Amino acid sequence: MMNPGHLDTSSPELHQTPSPTCSSRRYGKPVSALILMALGAVLTGCSTHSLTLLHPRGPIAATELHMMAIDVGIMLGIVIPTALLVIGFLWRYRASTGKGRYDPKWSHSVAVEVVVWSIPLMVVGALSYYSYKGTLQVNPYHPLVLAHQDHDPLEVDVITTDWQWVFVYPKQHIASVNELVIPAHTAVQFHLTSATVTNSFFIPKLVGQIYVMPGMPTEQTMLVSDPGTYRGFSAALSGPGFSWMQFSTRAVSKKEFLQWTTQMQGVPRHLTYTAFNTLARPTINLHHTPLYYSHVQAGLFDHVMKEVRMGKVFVTPMAMTVHM
Amino acid sequence: MLVHLQGPWTPLFGRLTLSQVPYDNPVIIGAFLFAALAALVLVGSVTYTGNWRYLWREWLTTVDHKKIGVMYIIIGLVMLFRGFIDAVLIRTQQVMAVGPESAGHLGAVHGFMPPYHFDQVYSAHGAIMLLFAVTPVLVGLMNIIVPLQIGARDMAYPYLNAVGLWLTAVGAGLVMLSLFLGDFSHAGWVGLTPLTELPYSPGVGVDYWIWSIQISSIGTTLGAINLIATIVKMRAPGMTWMRLPVFTWTTMATNIIALTAFPVLGATLALLSLDRYLGTHFFTAGMGGNLMLYTDLFWVWGHPEVYFLVLPAFGILSEIIPTFSEKPLFGYTAMVLASLVIAGASWTVWLHHFFTMGAGPLVNTYFSIATMLVGIPTGVKMFNWAFTMYRARIRFDTPMLWAIGALFLLLIGGLTGMMLAVPAIDFQVHNSVFVIAHFHSMVLLIAFAIMGAVSYWFPKVFGFRLDERLGRRVFWYWVAGSIMVFIPMYTLGFMGMTRRLDYVAHPSWMPLIIAEEVGIGLYWIALYYQAKQFYVSIRDRRRYRVNVDPWRTTRSLEWMTHSPVPFYNFAVTPVIHARDEWAWRKEQGFTSLRPERYQDIHMPKNTAVPVIIGALSFILGFGMVWRIWWLALFGLGGIVVTLILRSCNQDTDYVIPAADVERMERRGSFVSVVPGTTRSPGDGAAPEGPFHPTGQET
Repeated sequence: MMNPGHLDTSSPELHQTPSPTCSSRRYGKPVSALILMALGAVLTGCSTHSLTLLHPRGPIAATELHMMAIDVGIMLGIVIPTALLVIGFLWRYRASTGKGRYDPKWSHSVAVEVVVWSIPLMVVGALSYYSYKGTLQVNPYHPLVLAHQDHDPLEVDVITTDWQWVFVYPKQHIASVNELVIPAHTAVQFHLTSATVTNSFFIPKLVGQIYVMPGMPTEQTMLVSDPGTYRGFSAALSGPGFSWMQFSTRAVSKKEFLQWTTQMQGVPRHLTYTAFNTLARPTINLHHTPLYYSHVQAGLFDHVMKEVRMGKVFVTPMAMTVHM
Repeated sequence: MLVHLQGPWTPLFGRLTLSQVPYDNPVIIGAFLFAALAALVLVGSVTYTGNWRYLWREWLTTVDHKKIGVMYIIIGLVMLFRGFIDAVLIRTQQVMAVGPESAGHLGAVHGFMPPYHFDQVYSAHGAIMLLFAVTPVLVGLMNIIVPLQIGARDMAYPYLNAVGLWLTAVGAGLVMLSLFLGDFSHAGWVGLTPLTELPYSPGVGVDYWIWSIQISSIGTTLGAINLIATIVKMRAPGMTWMRLPVFTWTTMATNIIALTAFPVLGATLALLSLDRYLGTHFFTAGMGGNLMLYTDLFWVWGHPEVYFLVLPAFGILSEIIPTFSEKPLFGYTAMVLASLVIAGASWTVWLHHFFTMGAGPLVNTYFSIATMLVGIPTGVKMFNWAFTMYRARIRFDTPMLWAIGALFLLLIGGLTGMMLAVPAIDFQVHNSVFVIAHFHSMVLLIAFAIMGAVSYWFPKVFGFRLDERLGRRVFWYWVAGSIMVFIPMYTLGFMGMTRRLDYVAHPSWMPLIIAEEVGIGLYWIALYYQAKQFYVSIRDRRRYRVNVDPWRTTRSLEWMTHSPVPFYNFAVTPVIHARDEWAWRKEQGFTSLRPERYQDIHMPKNTAVPVIIGALSFILGFGMVWRIWWLALFGLGGIVVTLILRSCNQDTDYVIPAADVERMERRGSFVSVVPGTTRSPGDGAAPEGPFHPTGQET
């Protein structure tokens, strides 16, 4: 097995332990105690370090987090008062010892109706505006947040098999399997297709998901702002090997990336369509094994897509289902 | 054979071989032993007490909407238990399979279930919970309550009603059978294409999934036709549209959804079946197939289906909250309008289930805004329930506790739903356990409403109430379990945990996954108290006996008759004067159930045809799953012949003479089958078309 570049597949985020510093107070009733325990569980690692989505490392993921903050902020503005209103009514008008006045006929009020229709209307109006804006900003085909990059993006073709990731660098004629290496501070444009069934391409800290579908291309664009190793995986069930369908994303400096490509171009294993067919046989990637290829057949991505459209399938053998 | 099958096939047994029995898997053997033991106890006790005849005549062949409703609910609760066991297995597998160091048992690399088996468990969990647990319970509740709320004697088509029940039972039966013979679908409850196509799902699992859903969805569609016809045509005199109880309104809205959406599912599954059986290419990746078409079609049904489930739950809340607030529902008109708007909007949002499939930004934005618009009527409902409790006198009986719990779940589900409706956010949390936690908040809302409904209407249907103290315990443990399972799940979503993981690569997630397992333990305790509540309440039923109006502050028509409800519902068809008729009558002092004059009652006769059709559908489904063509043909032919024979039968109804009604009402004992005293209405000529109550007696 060739191992160009220093392989560091053990990403730092895989080995965080939750910090046990969550405080807890003592409550008499068991249910309250349980609720508190649950809250404690939420705050496992009070530092939020382990909450991957709160720590984006690229403008796309950062914009997505920003949208989430706006949305949650607006929604809490309505959810919390409503919850307090309900609790207040339950307390004030409880039959046992409530202080509230009882008015058995009161069941209609135009003023209240106007208010209860207009509050959700305004909230939805505001959220719709942000939704529209955000959708354009992180549009996978042409994200507005990356519209002002002056250099050409690095192109990477992504092909999923049952159950591995093949990353082809068409301009560099190299391919790496189950490991994605990219330069930081450079826009990367992915073209994605599947040789078998649908997967979802997802690197939480860098970019949101896009489906990877057989017989057709999708696209995704991203930029990494900090070098490092990030966890990527398929987020759509694709069969028995799905849970192990992970890849590490190594964002390196431009110089290191050039070194890596040069090194890769000397790898003895070549990737023709025939070799791809062997690689694409149903394989569960239990040990996160990366593979490297040079001399990738030109137009491999389009060829895989064309073959799938012509009816090419990689049959799941019955043995894989009976004994698994 | 037009398609290439892996494994043997013989004309006589199709794909069925002895090796399809998973006798080497201790988990399944355990399940089988449990199921076999339960069946033995059931059969044994019925035989021991000599009740087979009673069971056949009073239950299996009944067309009484209340008994059919009760049987729907029993099916639903049994499947709810099965779905819960699946959930236990899922959580236990994940807690055992964290990190590369975790051990593997029973042939698995990690945990105790290999991926293909685990995939089946969560696929079954989803399909069962939505289609064979929650749906039957809700259909059962609508069956029991709606005719009573509108003052009808039965459904518009009592026989069709029974057919719907037995088709649902067949669907549930096929799912259960798949556990012990062959396997179930491994492609998620949504049946992801092209994973469900023959090359990627070579076994019979997907076929079980297809046929169980296909058959039961026909039952649901028939039920929808029936409920709509009943509400439109069978309302008591004076029951105008704007006097209809809100639960009946939501039933109307929800069944319009069912009637229009379920045929889409039927057609979609039929196309998928053609792919799998005849080698067509509707949803394949190659040869001109379009797998995205399946995703669209499935969710064109799937999203309305979600509202099909939630609207009756909203209706239940609208019945329970006014009762225990001792006040009419606030903003009745707005509530009705909101229900219909939600039903209409359910058709316009389906693409939000796959924002990540690569549609353009404007398409995504349209569906995002359409989805959020649903939040408006839902928000209005939330506020109206809150204002129903304004200036109220609130009592916290068990049904009310469940209703209040449901309100808070709606707030949480609404908050997270509004997050998922935004594509930019969805790109990050799509297919994560955050989504799972979101829709479980919503389905738990439905489950809370169901639990509330069961405890609320139980005394009306059976004449005795469920133990309050144990009921409260069930509630609190259920709440605690939900918090312990789903708050960690929301959090794990933020950590980037994907749904459907057989193996969890990150040891740092362990504490939260353990917390979820603790939550499952709390659910077990809730389940224990639930079983105890049923047991204690049935054992001491004399002590828990109730009169006409067990909650004292009820408002709608179903409380205006005896508990348990006589098989003919009302001695005479009531005339409606107000929106909350029963509350109005109590105010006016007209609470006597004794009419001035009794009248003949026209009733439908019991029939064995629905059970026979059910049995033949089971044979059809079984034959198709295992590709035993002669058996499938036999089932299909049998159904056709049965339908033809039944349509020649003119003797489908009878009349209870007024004197008999009076006697039963005075004695307070009601026997549904009155042999010898039955006669055909008029001069023996059976009326055509749907069953109508006799006259407009007042």
